[in-house]
Amino acid sequence: MSANQPNIVLFQCQWCLYAKTDQDWVENSLPENMHLVKTSCTGRINPLFVLNAIQGGAEGVMISGCKPEICHFKEGNIGARRQLSAFQKLLTHIGFDRSRIRFVWMDLQDTGRIQKELATFEKDLVDLGQSAVLVTRKPGFEGGMHD
Amino acid sequence: MNYILSRNDIPKVLEMWSKTHQVFAPQKYSNFSAFLPYEGKAEQLCLEYPHNTRYPPKALFLPQSEELLSYTKDGQASEPALDAKPKLIFGIHACDTRAMTLLDTVFDAKDYQDPFWKARRESTAIITLGCDEPCSTCFCTTVEGGPFNRQGADIIMTDIGESFHLEALTPKGENLCKDLPYASAAEDRKVSNVQEKATSDMPKAFDTEGLKTALDANFDSSYWEEVQRSCLGCGVCTFLCPTCFCFDIADEAARSKRYRNWDTCMFSVYSREASGHNPRPSRKERTRQRLMHKYSYWVDQIGKIGCTGCGRCVRYCPVGLDIRAMLREAGKLPVEVIHA
Amino acid sequence: MTDLEMKLKAEAKRLLDEHLVDVFIGFRKENAPLHPQPAFFTNSDQLDDFVYNNLCQNNLAKFLTRYPHETKIGMIVRGCENRSVNHLIVERQHPRENIIMIGVPCTGIYDWRKITQRCGEEISDVELSPGKITVKTSKNQFEFESKELLHVSCARCSQPNPISADLVIGEPVEPKDPARAKRQVETFGGMTAKARYEWFTHESERCIRCYACREACPMCYCAECFVDHGAPRWTESMVSKAGMQTWHIIRAFHQTGRCVDCGACERACPMDIRMTYITEKLNTDMENEYQFICGMDDKTQPPFAAFTMDDKTRFVA
Ligand code: SF4
Ligand code: SF4
Ligand code: SF4
Ligand code: SF4
Repeated sequence: MSANQPNIVLFQCQWCLYAKTDQDWVENSLPENMHLVKTSCTGRINPLFVLNAIQGGAEGVMISGCKPEICHFKEGNIGARRQLSAFQKLLTHIGFDRSRIRFVWMDLQDTGRIQKELATFEKDLVDLGQSAVLVTRKPGFEGGMHD
Repeated sequence: MNYILSRNDIPKVLEMWSKTHQVFAPQKYSNFSAFLPYEGKAEQLCLEYPHNTRYPPKALFLPQSEELLSYTKDGQASEPALDAKPKLIFGIHACDTRAMTLLDTVFDAKDYQDPFWKARRESTAIITLGCDEPCSTCFCTTVEGGPFNRQGADIIMTDIGESFHLEALTPKGENLCKDLPYASAAEDRKVSNVQEKATSDMPKAFDTEGLKTALDANFDSSYWEEVQRSCLGCGVCTFLCPTCFCFDIADEAARSKRYRNWDTCMFSVYSREASGHNPRPSRKERTRQRLMHKYSYWVDQIGKIGCTGCGRCVRYCPVGLDIRAMLREAGKLPVEVIHA
Repeated sequence: MTDLEMKLKAEAKRLLDEHLVDVFIGFRKENAPLHPQPAFFTNSDQLDDFVYNNLCQNNLAKFLTRYPHETKIGMIVRGCENRSVNHLIVERQHPRENIIMIGVPCTGIYDWRKITQRCGEEISDVELSPGKITVKTSKNQFEFESKELLHVSCARCSQPNPISADLVIGEPVEPKDPARAKRQVETFGGMTAKARYEWFTHESERCIRCYACREACPMCYCAECFVDHGAPRWTESMVSKAGMQTWHIIRAFHQTGRCVDCGACERACPMDIRMTYITEKLNTDMENEYQFICGMDDKTQPPFAAFTMDDKTRFVA
């Protein structure tokens, strides 16, 4: 990817995009530098997924889920928020830039929002520049082994 | 022949050897020491360190993680180049040098030779530094070795105060010493005193006579139940051990490479089979395996004990489990039990 | 044998003789220097080499999860161990009624590494007296104040006294310097991101993946750890940067709201790797955000398990 098209991994709860057009766009028309990982609920997003994305070279990770009270599984997002925001703080503690992980909590009214959110995120990541923090598995950028 | 290397000359001589060899020497690493490539920083050297390097030098020949091959999607595979550049290990203790010769019986055996191991071994010269002040955790003389054991060494080095005395044992060793001054007869005498004293000062840690018989006879003893209680089942004793060599092979698909990683019989996943069945289901079998392998199975296979008495496992076990104490106890177990 | 040791031993003997417990977990005299061994007494005859001192470095709560729930366990608990046991009860790892905790107000655990480093010589003997430690080496004798040798977790301990033991032996002690924990987290957090990542990299890259940290931690009792998973494989198997960093990040993260900062993980590490600078951050976050301190009672669920709809006010964006 070029510097203007940072790699972004979008973890998306499969219930959070209500408008069919939005879901279609996310599934079929994402720009090449954006990668969709659909999960059954934000509660399914193991922090390891996020770490793996970053290690593998994602410049930014977006987590999109439902607003509170409208979770398909009632409170999956409530638990997920506690874990994922604590994880974001942990990564920040060891030197990762917290703005590279972004949460988007959406509801019925938000048709067309995901496109805008991704565009802003992309722009912000371009401004931030490339990062090497925690990037240890990116092809051609592999973390060496101590021997 | 015997040579003299004065303390002050060490940096100069290491520098000289560095021209033709990649030199590894015990150097400061975090709060302890490890064999690291010598980069001209004499102040980093840890020749006086009270104990062996914490990280075992076996890693110089059997790296903890090592690439075996890389492959492409269309089925091409290639092996990495063998490491044949000349290397020199300076200041390794006798127990660790001897450990290499034990490991040769695994990786350079009659019917199987590991090319990676062999290439590194053949291209490496070893300068052993004998121990004139063995530590409280050392027990090399109990297990067929000694603080000045020469097995595997090209040169054996003795601290005689102002300088080190070097005795070249092989042509490789002679070749390295060719620019050093010869030792005098007085210096040679000093050496035998130091060596004899250090060797005779080492107490016997346990009795090896009849030990194997006792271990074999007590395979099913409840003693192992006792031993496993405080054991955590971590990898400290085996990873730090200079003679433990178990490995696991893993394909890292994301890198398109195959690796060999150290593994240990103390982990439950080590013996777990694909079906989920584990023939060593509990720590009882696993702690037993470590002792049995070193003190019985090695003896079956090569007629030697597979432990060199370096004391690392004793020193760094997080729960203070001491292999010497375990073997002392095991040695006392009744032998007839199994025949009854 | 100190007065405290004598009293603890007598209590262990009573519990065993009266069959109030099936096993009593304490420590016994070391073979290797500086490392008393966790011991599991099932009979009062075995108590001869019972010891208890500031070198007893393991968190005994680790061993609780090895026994079936029916086993009646007696054990020595210091402040942190008491909290670990409490939290294990919250996680239903052993029923409270089958645990008898003999509490000891704790004067702190000595970090064996500090001792060997300060001496720099082979240690032949160690003598402990209140507030002081005398170390004999082959050539010298060293005297240390106990506070110089405390493990970092003990130096910042806020709960040295057992809080829910069935019996406490000894006088309560003053907490050391609990503000230090927050101070350390803040100082670390105040460094630049680059410096923090360098620190983290420097620590994690020495890892040999021996998992002693995991095995020493009372909260690491999973039947299968994420690093041992074959399918899916969660991280690289090698001692590569990716593998080592993942281990250090995720091991710590799995302790969120469950860590009592006993420091057992660090003391077990053969490579002197620091880990509590991460877990302490998680601990302070849990305290600041959710007013939760692990193990203060044996009922309260940790934050990751205690979410409710009230959390909706915490959602941003
Ligand atoms: S180092 Fe000690 S605790 Fe770890 S596996 Fe070995 S004997 Fe057990
Ligand atoms: S078993 Fe222990 S003493 Fe023997 S060689 Fe291995 S680490 Fe050294
Ligand atoms: S993570 Fe370390 S400090 Fe925290 S409870 Fe586990 S062993 Fe203790
Ligand atoms: S104990 Fe230390 S070396 Fe072993 S896995 Fe943990 S951090 Fe790594």
